[in-house]
Amino acid sequence: MSADPTPALQFEGVSIRLGGKEILSPTTLDIRQGEFVCIIGPSGCGKTTLLRAAAGFVQPSAGAVRRGQEIVKGPSREAAFVFQDYGRALLPWRTVAGNVSLALEAMGVPAAERPVRIDKVLQTVGLSAHADKFPLQLSGGMQQRAQIARCLAQEPSMMMMDEPFGALDAMTRESLQDELSRLVRDSGLTVLFVTHDLEEAIYLGDRVVALRSNPTPGKPSVAAVVDVNIPGPRSQLSTKEHPEYLRLRRELYHFLGHH
Amino acid sequence: MARVNLKSLRGAVVPVVLLAVLEWYARGPGKNSDALAPPTEAAASLVGAVGDGSLLQASFFTLGSAAAGLAVGFVLGVLLGTWLGLSARAGRWGFLTVEVMRPIPSVALIPLAMLVYGFGVRMEASVVAFAVFWPMLVLAQAAARQVDLRLLEVADALRLSPAARLFKIVLPAMVPRLFVALRLGVAIALVVAVTVEIAANPHGLGYAIMLAQQSLDPALMLAWLFWIAVLGYAVNAGALWVQSRVARAMGASV
Repeated sequence: MSADPTPALQFEGVSIRLGGKEILSPTTLDIRQGEFVCIIGPSGCGKTTLLRAAAGFVQPSAGAVRRGQEIVKGPSREAAFVFQDYGRALLPWRTVAGNVSLALEAMGVPAAERPVRIDKVLQTVGLSAHADKFPLQLSGGMQQRAQIARCLAQEPSMMMMDEPFGALDAMTRESLQDELSRLVRDSGLTVLFVTHDLEEAIYLGDRVVALRSNPTPGKPSVAAVVDVNIPGPRSQLSTKEHPEYLRLRRELYHFLGHH
Repeated sequence: MARVNLKSLRGAVVPVVLLAVLEWYARGPGKNSDALAPPTEAAASLVGAVGDGSLLQASFFTLGSAAAGLAVGFVLGVLLGTWLGLSARAGRWGFLTVEVMRPIPSVALIPLAMLVYGFGVRMEASVVAFAVFWPMLVLAQAAARQVDLRLLEVADALRLSPAARLFKIVLPAMVPRLFVALRLGVAIALVVAVTVEIAANPHGLGYAIMLAQQSLDPALMLAWLFWIAVLGYAVNAGALWVQSRVARAMGASV
């Protein structure tokens, strides 16, 4: 755990109503620096809204989200956002390198410095060979890598990921999980990761937060918070046979709406 | 190979037959017609118009005025339309004005344009610009509204400046729809330019075809008509070519 006592992100009684409908009931949650927190819950439980509030896309109706000491008022380059629909989040008219460059342009990085930095992040996500391809020429997995590369290029301290691997096939998903895991371990990023895949949540997370299925006014949305005490580095085979993994899977299973 | 070539010639059969029928009719039953001339005579007149430089001069004038008017109308229409599309408030303020101005037939502005500019390029280009401006505005407004919300969120997440947001996200995302607008604008610009010349402006292709008609020279009139059709086809084909080149440069899968 980090030595810094200030949480990276704090939800202080955050509730969100949109169009008169309760989307998220009061949520209080602290996320430590460098922690990988997965948020699970069935469709419509407000997990994506929670993430969007953390990123500053949505403002809470009550309570506040704090990033460090500051109340989150809007999006910041400190907190990168990885959208689920990579196909819509990449600029189709820019190559992979061009998409990564957009983050650098936004930061005001001089044109002369950009190629080196683009190379570096593309190497990190394994896309060096595809720098000059357009998004439509790439597979879904590679497009999501490109989006992650663009997020890394903005040098965030935190990454918000909204079901980033949900639309990918199982093999691609597993390899991206392992790469993300390694990347986060190496970089010390704080990650908030929304998924409806319980196994993915336990496999990746230091902690798993389960949300209640139907937000009800007055009743907190967070139904359970569990620590994942499986020693890392994780592997698709041994971690998923670990007794603790199986125990958590059993414990959290019904939170996804199964009965 | 020969078979492919023969097949590609199929499209030419109907025009050739029509030309042959016209030739036969104009030389036979319609010999004394003031409206029709044999295509061969029209071709001779066309060669004559090329020879005396009138074809080049008239084409230059019409295409130049149409292009100038199109450029002004397209740029202003797209800029204003984008603004109205992005800002809901501007859209509400502009709505009535647009709906009142848009249905004014552009050629009804010829008298006004003549008073302001007299005869010449500026008068013609201003009427073309007016005609092109409104459809460009409406199409650009729709295009700006249809920019994928996700891309705007990407711009927000990266904290792009308003200018970068416009030039790096919004306008490029509008390009495919703007090309549809541009091709429509090209067609409108040509039609209006020739109309202005037929109605008022003593220059260009429209005036040339009017002059041929008034001098009872159907062969020359048909020659101009044919040439205007060729130019219209070429301009549209050129716009299509540019469109596909740009689409490919912007990552569209071929």
